[in-house]
Amino acid sequence: MLTVASLTRAQLAARLGGAGLLVQTGAFVSRIQSPIHSVADGIALLYGDYPLHGADGFADFHVGLRPSGGMRRWYRPQVSFDLDGQQPFEPLPQAHAFPMLEWGLNWCISTRAHAWLMIHAAVVERDGLAAILPAPPGSGKSTLCAALVHRGWRLLSDELALLRPEDGLLVPVPRPVSLKNRSIEVIRGFVADAVLSQPVSNTTKGTVAHLKAPADSVARAHETARPAWIVFPKYEAGAATSLTPIPRARAFFRVADNAFNYSHMGARGFNALAGTIERCASYDFRYSDLDEAMALFAALERPRT
Amino acid sequence: MTASETWCLRPGQTLQYRHWDDEYVLYNDLSGDTHLLGDAAIELLRVLKAGPASRQALAAVLEAQFDIDPLELDQETGELLRHLQHLYFIEPVPDNRADVPAC
Repeated sequence: MLTVASLTRAQLAARLGGAGLLVQTGAFVSRIQSPIHSVADGIALLYGDYPLHGADGFADFHVGLRPSGGMRRWYRPQVSFDLDGQQPFEPLPQAHAFPMLEWGLNWCISTRAHAWLMIHAAVVERDGLAAILPAPPGSGKSTLCAALVHRGWRLLSDELALLRPEDGLLVPVPRPVSLKNRSIEVIRGFVADAVLSQPVSNTTKGTVAHLKAPADSVARAHETARPAWIVFPKYEAGAATSLTPIPRARAFFRVADNAFNYSHMGARGFNALAGTIERCASYDFRYSDLDEAMALFAALERPRT
Repeated sequence: MTASETWCLRPGQTLQYRHWDDEYVLYNDLSGDTHLLGDAAIELLRVLKAGPASRQALAAVLEAQFDIDPLELDQETGELLRHLQHLYFIEPVPDNRADVPAC
C-alpha cells in the first residue's frame, strides 16, 4: 500500500488543501483537511510511513484545521479544529496547529471508539507481551514510552490503550509520541536519531514537540498484543529506580480511573478489565534515570497466570 | 429493622465479581458502579442470590463463617444490610410477599 511518503510536498499540500489526506493510523482512517503550512510540515515529517488511502476511500474521522475568521486573523491568527463540521474546542493560536491536530485525533478516538475499553495509557510490546503504562499528565509516561520504543520495544500507543473485550488483546494505534517541556531535550539526548517536530511553546501543556513513531511500529500496526504488565510510571527527580507490586483490586480501580469509557461499557468493561488485571502483574514504578529504567523493563518477568 | 424481616437480591443484579487476595471487586448491574467489598458482604449476597432470607438467617450465616462478637452480631448484620441496600444490591421483601421464592 502507498504511504504518505509517496506524495511530493506539493501533492501533500494539495490533498490537505483540497478533498483531504486520508491517512491510516492503526485501526482508524482520518481524512485531514488543512491549508495551514505547519500542519503539512508536521505530517510530512512524522507521518511518512503511514498507509495512504484514496480521496474517495472510507474515513472514520473527518477533521479540519482551518484559520479562524474574524478581525483577529489579521493581527493574531488562530486555528480551529473541526470534526464533521462541528468545532468542539476553542480556537488556538495558529502556531499550535500541528499539536492541535494530534490532540484532536486523540479526542476523536477517545470519545467515539467504544468498541474497545480505552485507557489513558502508553502501550509498548516486546516478544508478544505488552506493558500498559497508565498515568496522568506529568508522570513521565511519554518520556518513558519514547525511550522504550528506541530500545527494542514496539510502540502500540503513547496515549490510548485499546483493549478488545472479546479476547483481551491490545489493538495498536501508533502515532507520534507527545513530549513536553524538559522531556524534549531528554529524548534528544537519549535517542541519537530522534525525529522531532518543531517545538511549539506556550501551549496549554507548555512547550510541546512530537517524536516520530518507529517505522517498524507503524508497519506492524495490525498486530495485536497480549497485556502482561500494568506499570504506573512516576518520574521523580533524583529518585532511585523502584518497582513495587500493586494488589490486584487496587490496580483494578486505578486502571478504571484512567479509562475513558469504563462506565460507558458497563459489564463488558468490568469483565474486560478484570480479565486483564488477572493476566497482568501490576506495579508502581518510580524512576529518574532512563538507562536504569530501560534495564528494569528489559528484566521484567513474564507473569504467572 | 427487625429479626424477622426478609431480604432479597434486587432483580437485575447478577453479582459479577472477582476475588483477589482478601478483596472482592463487584460490578453493580443496576448503577453501573464497581465496588470494593469485604468477604462478609459478599457472603450475604451469595446467600441472597439463592433466594430471600430473613435477617435472623443472615446473621446466623455471618456468625457461622466469621469471627464476630455475638454481642455485635445484630449490629454488624444490620450495618451490612443497610450498606448493601444503599448500594442497590438488596431490598427488603414487603411483609405480604415474604412467602415468595424470589423478589
